[in-house]
Amino acid sequence: MSLLELDGVSKSFGGLQVIDALDLRIDEGEIVSVIGPNGAGKTTLFNLVTGIYPPDRGDIRFGGRNIVGLEPHKIAQLGIARTFQTLRLFLNMTVKENVQAATYGHTKSRVWQSVLRTPFARSEEREVGALAEQLLGFFGKRLVGYRLHQPAYSLSYANRRRLEIARATGTKPQLLLLDEPAAGMNPAETQEITGLIGRLREEGGYTILVIEHDMHVVEGISDRVVALDHGVKIAEGTFDAVATDPRVVEAYLGARATKEE
Amino acid sequence: MEFFVQQLVNGVTLGSVYALIALGYSMVYGILKLLNFAHGEVYMMGAFIGYFVLIGLGGAASPILPVAFVIILMFLAGMLGAGILGIAIERFAYRPLRNAPRIAPLISAIGVSFFLQASALLIFTAQFRTYNTPAMIPFSVGIEVGPLRISLVRILVITSAITLMIALWLLVNRTRLGKAMRATSYDREAAAMMGIDVDRVIVATFFIGSVLAGAAGVMVGLVFGRVFHFMGFIAGLKGFTAAVIGGIGNIPGAMLGGLLIGLAEAFSAAYISSTFQNLIVFGILITVMLVRPSGLLGSPVLKKV
Amino acid sequence: MPRIGTDEWAAQAETRTEHYRGLTAPARRAWDRVTPQARFALFLAVAAAFPFTTDSTFLQRVGVNVLLFALLALGLNIVVGWAGLLDLGYVAFYGFGAYAYAWVSSSQFDLHWPTIATIPTVVVASALLGLLLGLPSWRLVGDYLAITTLFFAQIFVELALNLDRINLPGSDEPLNLTGGPNGIPGVDPMVIFGIELLRVRDYFFLLLVVLAIVVIGLFFLKDSRTGRAWRAVREDPLAAELMTTPVNRMKLLAFAMGAAIAGLTGTIFAAVQVGVFPQNFEVTLLIMIYAALILGGAGSIQGAILGAIVVASVPEILRTPENARFLFYGALIAVLVATVRPWRRLAALAGAAVAFGFAVHEIVALVWPEGVEAETRGEGIGGLLDSWVVLPAVERVLIGNIAFVLLIVAVLSLTQLRRDTRFVLLVPTIYLAAFVWENRLIFQPSVTRQLLFGAILVAMMTTRPHGLLGTPRVENPV
Repeated sequence: MSLLELDGVSKSFGGLQVIDALDLRIDEGEIVSVIGPNGAGKTTLFNLVTGIYPPDRGDIRFGGRNIVGLEPHKIAQLGIARTFQTLRLFLNMTVKENVQAATYGHTKSRVWQSVLRTPFARSEEREVGALAEQLLGFFGKRLVGYRLHQPAYSLSYANRRRLEIARATGTKPQLLLLDEPAAGMNPAETQEITGLIGRLREEGGYTILVIEHDMHVVEGISDRVVALDHGVKIAEGTFDAVATDPRVVEAYLGARATKEE
Repeated sequence: MEFFVQQLVNGVTLGSVYALIALGYSMVYGILKLLNFAHGEVYMMGAFIGYFVLIGLGGAASPILPVAFVIILMFLAGMLGAGILGIAIERFAYRPLRNAPRIAPLISAIGVSFFLQASALLIFTAQFRTYNTPAMIPFSVGIEVGPLRISLVRILVITSAITLMIALWLLVNRTRLGKAMRATSYDREAAAMMGIDVDRVIVATFFIGSVLAGAAGVMVGLVFGRVFHFMGFIAGLKGFTAAVIGGIGNIPGAMLGGLLIGLAEAFSAAYISSTFQNLIVFGILITVMLVRPSGLLGSPVLKKV
Repeated sequence: MPRIGTDEWAAQAETRTEHYRGLTAPARRAWDRVTPQARFALFLAVAAAFPFTTDSTFLQRVGVNVLLFALLALGLNIVVGWAGLLDLGYVAFYGFGAYAYAWVSSSQFDLHWPTIATIPTVVVASALLGLLLGLPSWRLVGDYLAITTLFFAQIFVELALNLDRINLPGSDEPLNLTGGPNGIPGVDPMVIFGIELLRVRDYFFLLLVVLAIVVIGLFFLKDSRTGRAWRAVREDPLAAELMTTPVNRMKLLAFAMGAAIAGLTGTIFAAVQVGVFPQNFEVTLLIMIYAALILGGAGSIQGAILGAIVVASVPEILRTPENARFLFYGALIAVLVATVRPWRRLAALAGAAVAFGFAVHEIVALVWPEGVEAETRGEGIGGLLDSWVVLPAVERVLIGNIAFVLLIVAVLSLTQLRRDTRFVLLVPTIYLAAFVWENRLIFQPSVTRQLLFGAILVAMMTTRPHGLLGTPRVENPV
C-alpha cells in the first residue's frame, strides 16, 4: 500500500478540465517531483490533496484512508503538510510563533487550561517552544537566535521560503508537499534547497512530493518524476526517462520542436 | 388590487432611490474593494442641500422661480454638493489608506460617517425638516391609470432615476472614462501600468457615485418629505445590501437589488406588519447575504491559492 | 565593530532607534523596563485607590464607565484584534446580557434570581448567542461580515423597541418582553456572597475585580495555543486551516468569548444603571467601543484599557464648560507640542496665535461692536478668553456653524500644504478652532463627543493605524 494514492481524480473549473483522471502513487520515504508547464494543474493537484477543493470524481487515499471530503485541517492533522508557491506566512507573527501555530493539530491544551495556566498547558507550551526551535534549527543559523522573535515580515525572501518549510514540518507531517521551493531563489540558494530536501527525508523521515520548475533541483532530488500537461499525466519514471520523453519535450517546447529534432 | 398596485408604485419609488444609493456603493466597491460606509451620509447631505436650496428659493409654498426650475436647481445643487463631498471623503479619509490593512479604510469610513452625522446634527440640529412638496406640486396631480392615480412627484422621481441610470450605463459602457473604470475594477495595478491614471478614475468614481446619492437624497425629500441627520444610516445599510443582492460591482445588479428591496419593504409594511418592517427587510437581507454572497447577477469569485 | 548590512546590525535596528532624548528620557527608559505584569498591578492599585479620593458619585460613575468600556473593548479585542473578524454586532451581546439580567432580576416577570446563579447563566447564554451570530463568519469575510453583523445590532435594537406586545397563541394578555421604548426599570442590585451592592463605589470594585480576572485570563490566553491560532486565522485563514487549525471553530470561539465578556459586562451595567433601555445599545455605543479599541491599538490588552480610559472619560469632561475648555486647550497645546518642532518654531507659533487673536478681536470690536459682546462667563482662562476670542452676541449659532465648516476645510487643507505655508496658515486655523469651540461646540457636549470620536477614527487610521500602544502590522498582498 502506498502512502498517498490518487485514483481517477478529475477536477474542472467552469468547463476547463484542470486535472483529468489522474492516477498517482507515492510510497513512503519517496521523493517525487511533479513537473509540467504553467497551467498543467500542478498546484491544483496540491489543492485537491490538501482538501482546499474536493475533486469532481475519483478517490484520494492517505495511509489507506479515503480523505475526499474531509476538511483541510483534518487532512493536515492526518499528516499532510504543504508550502505555498505564493508564500502565505503569518506575517505579523514572530518566526517562532509561525512554527508554533502549526502545532495546533497535535497539541491539546483547552482554552480553560491556557487561561488558568495549568501545569499541563505550561508543559505543553514548553514542548511546543522547544519543537519550534528544533525545527527552525534545521536551517542552520538562518532562523534561530534573535530571528526567533522577529516578525516574519522582516525576513528575506529566501528565509521566508525556509520558514514556510519549517512551519509545514511543525504540523508533524508524514507527507510534505512543497510548491516550488526554489522559486525566486538565486543559484546558491537553489543548490542549498536541493541539499535541504534530501536532508528533510534523511533527518525528518518525511515523504516528499515537490512541484519544481528548476530541472537541476528536480534532477538532484527525485526518486521519481511525474510530468503533467493539461491535467493529464504524460510521463512518469526516473528523471532521465521523463526528461527525454518526447511527449514531455513537446509539452514544454511545442510540437514543432520535436519534429525538427 | 388597487391597494396592491399602490404598494407596487410605492415599492418602485423607494426601490429607485435605493438603487441610486446602491450604485454608488457598487461602483466604489468595484474599484477599491472598499465599503464606503459614509455613502449614506453623502445621501443625507444631498437631501439637506436640496432642502436649503428650496428654502433659499422661497420655499415650497411660494417659490420665486417656476416650479420646474426650482426642482432642477435642487437636483443640480444636491448632486454637485454631494459629489464634492464624495471627492473630499476619498481624498482625506481613504486615499492615505490605499495600501493599508483591509480593516483600516473600513474603520476610517465608519469614522467619516459618524463625523458627518454629528456635523449635520450640529449645523442642522436634530429637528426633522420637510420639503413640503404638496404645496409645490399637489399629490392629487398625476396620471390616472384605471382606478389608480400615480402622483406626478412619483413619476418625476422614477423617471429621473431611470434617466440617471441610463446616463450611468452609457458613461460606463460608451466612454473612455467608463472603459478606464472597468479596467481599474478588474485589476488596479495592471490598469496603472497600461497608462490609466488610477487616482483620477477613483476620484471620478467617487464623484459619480456621490452625485447619484445626492440625487437620491433630493428624491426622498420630494416624495417622503422628512429630512434629518440620521436618515443616511439606515438608507445606507439598505443601499449597500441592495448592491450586494444584485452582485457587488455589477451596475444592473445594483438597480435590480434596489428595486427588490424597495418592493420587499413596501409589501412587508403593507401586508405583514409595519412595526416589524425593518426586521423583515433585514431578515431578507441577511438570508440573501448568507445564501448567495456573490449576489443575483454577480459571478462567484474563484479562490486563488 | 559590526558592519552595516550584516544580520547583527539589522537585528539591533530597534535598539538604535529606541534612543529617547530630552528631559523625559530617563522616565521613559525606566517605564520601558517595567514588566506588563507590574504595570497592570500599578494600574489596579491606582484604580482601587480612586474611589477613596472622592465622595462625588458623579466621578465614581465615570470610573464605572471607564471599567465598563475597558471590559467591552477587551471582549471586542478578541474578535477584532486577535481573530481579525470585523464584528459590528458586538453591542447586541452587551444588550442581551443587560436585558437577560433584567429579566431574571426585576418585577418584569417577577423573577429575582440570586446574582451568583444569574451571572454564569447569562454569560453562558451570551456565549451561545455569540456562537449563533458568529456562524455567518464561516461564509462571509471582511466587509460582508461587517455589514451582516451590523444588521444583527440593528435587529437587536428593533427587537428591544418592539417586543413589548407579543400576542402569544392561547393567551389573552400580550407578552411584554422588553418593555419597548420604556425599557425595564427597577432592576435589582447585585448580591454577591451575601453583600448587596448598592453604592456606585461597590460596583466600581466589582468591575475592577472582574477586569483583573479578565485581563489576567486574556494575558495568559494571548500567547497560548488558542491565542496563536486566532492570530493565525487573522493573518491568513487558508494557511491556518492547512496548518491544522480548525479555522471555523476558532472563529466561533472568538465570537463566543467576545460575547461572553460583553454579556457579563451587560449584567453589571444593568445593575449599576438600575434598568435597561433600548437606547443604551445603539450604534453610537458600538462606535465608541471601536474608537477605544482603535485608539489604544487593536490587538493590545493595555491598549484596550488605555483607549477605554480616554473614550469613557472624555464625554464626561465635555459635560461642564470649564472642564471642556481645559480639555480642548490642553489637547490643542499637546498636539502642537508633539508635532511642531523645533521649540523655536513652537514659541513663534504660540506668540503669533496670541497676537493674532488680540488683533482680530480689536478689529472686530472696531468694525462690528456686537461681534464681541457675548461672554464666555468663565473663571480664569474664560476671563482672559473674553478679550481674545471673538464672541458675537447676535447670530452666534449661524456664524459658529459657518466657522465650523470653514474650520473643517482649513484643517483638511493644512494636511495638504508644504511645511512653511502650513506654518503660516496654522495660526488662523488655531484661532478659528478656538472660535468654533467657544461659540458652538462647548454648548453641545454630546455632538462634540460624536465629532471627536469620528475624527479620532479617521485620524488614527490615516496616521497611526496601530493605535497608541499597538504594534505596526503589514498586510499580506492578496
